Amino acid sequence: MYGWLCKLGLNRALALLAFVLGAGALFAQVYPDRTLSVHETELLTASARAEDHVPPAELAAWIVAGRADYRLLDLRDETAFAEYHIPTAENVPLTDLFAHGLLRNEKIVLYADGDLPAAQAWLLLRGRGYQGVYTLQGGLDAWKDQVLFPMMPESPSPEEQLRFEEAAHLAKLFGGQPRAAASGGDAQLMDMSALQASTPAVAAPSLPAAGGGKSRRGPREGC
Amino acid sequence: MNLPLYKFGAFGDEASLVVAFVIGIGFGWFLERAGFGNARKLMAQFYLTDMAVFKVMFSAVVTALLGVTYLAWAGWLDLSLVYYVPTYWITAILGGLLMGVGFVIGGYCPGTSVASMATGRIDGLVYVAGFAAGTLGFVLGYPLFKELLAMGDLGVLTLPEVAGVRWGIVVFGVVLLAIGGFAGATWVEKWMAARAEPGASAE
Repeated sequence: MYGWLCKLGLNRALALLAFVLGAGALFAQVYPDRTLSVHETELLTASARAEDHVPPAELAAWIVAGRADYRLLDLRDETAFAEYHIPTAENVPLTDLFAHGLLRNEKIVLYADGDLPAAQAWLLLRGRGYQGVYTLQGGLDAWKDQVLFPMMPESPSPEEQLRFEEAAHLAKLFGGQPRAAASGGDAQLMDMSALQASTPAVAAPSLPAAGGGKSRRGPREGC
Repeated sequence: MNLPLYKFGAFGDEASLVVAFVIGIGFGWFLERAGFGNARKLMAQFYLTDMAVFKVMFSAVVTALLGVTYLAWAGWLDLSLVYYVPTYWITAILGGLLMGVGFVIGGYCPGTSVASMATGRIDGLVYVAGFAAGTLGFVLGYPLFKELLAMGDLGVLTLPEVAGVRWGIVVFGVVLLAIGGFAGATWVEKWMAARAEPGASAE
């Protein structure tokens, strides 16, 4: 056998090896199967450590900063998406979740109206081995509540006042409107009529700073 | 074992530069060992008198392909975490032509020019200066040809997906292509040598 290999020469022996390995590869199963495998403790600790969600204000800051290292998925149906969606979001109804070309190394932020559909999608994705999956905390409801229409505290401390002003600035960037405290006081200065008019249907604001949908292909890599 | 190491957090961004440096040195060393620090050796590929470039590059492809396949099969490598460059077919053709013209005129490709410069060759140094200037020009002019660069966007494509066959069939096909290609390349070398020296036999 050894003598035969020597006679063959190094090049031919390597070619033979490649041929054998290549033929063996015909039977290779390179992708894991399609069943969910959920690691209970891992998911629970991720959830307990609050590593599984993004607060609305943080997401808003990402969008304003034009960050493109994550994908924002809107899990609602097309009509709801057309009516309003968070800037830079892609519409992915829950049924299309795995047909949308998500990569397991991408940072994915999910949202729907409330928390539940996003939480379901979160579990499905984590179960399929997607590592960086987050939900928008409180869903679109919280987004409207905290980012688009932030509420002025009733009797704000200077610190709260400052925070509200920041939130109000952010709200305007996203086409929203800050709200006055629910009950009276000097907060009457705020325009209350705008709230009623714009709460249900907010036009998708155009943000020059928030990188458009074109450039979200995940991090640039390769040579 | 969990591969790719970087994606599984075996090292961070900064350490990845060190890893890249070590791999880069290794890459350059093997390029030089293959004789690719010399523009004459590289140009012989285009005159079909020495097919070393084809053989070395294709062996690297086959080696990596088999390695990746068996690691994934063993469950050590998560292929879905491996980054695939998206396909822009128009841009790829234009860029490929440009690269080929530059290769033929300059005598090097970017990697080999650096290896050549590292061994002290003047032509390698000039080439590297040229491609550094070109890179800078590309970066500065990026807004101008941004549109052009996005032409023919097909997203991430892989051969098994496009052909609709199993991964292993593509692997075996590439291995057969390589073995056939090596045999063909050796035949071409002999044929060219025979043509260069009339009277010498092709065998």
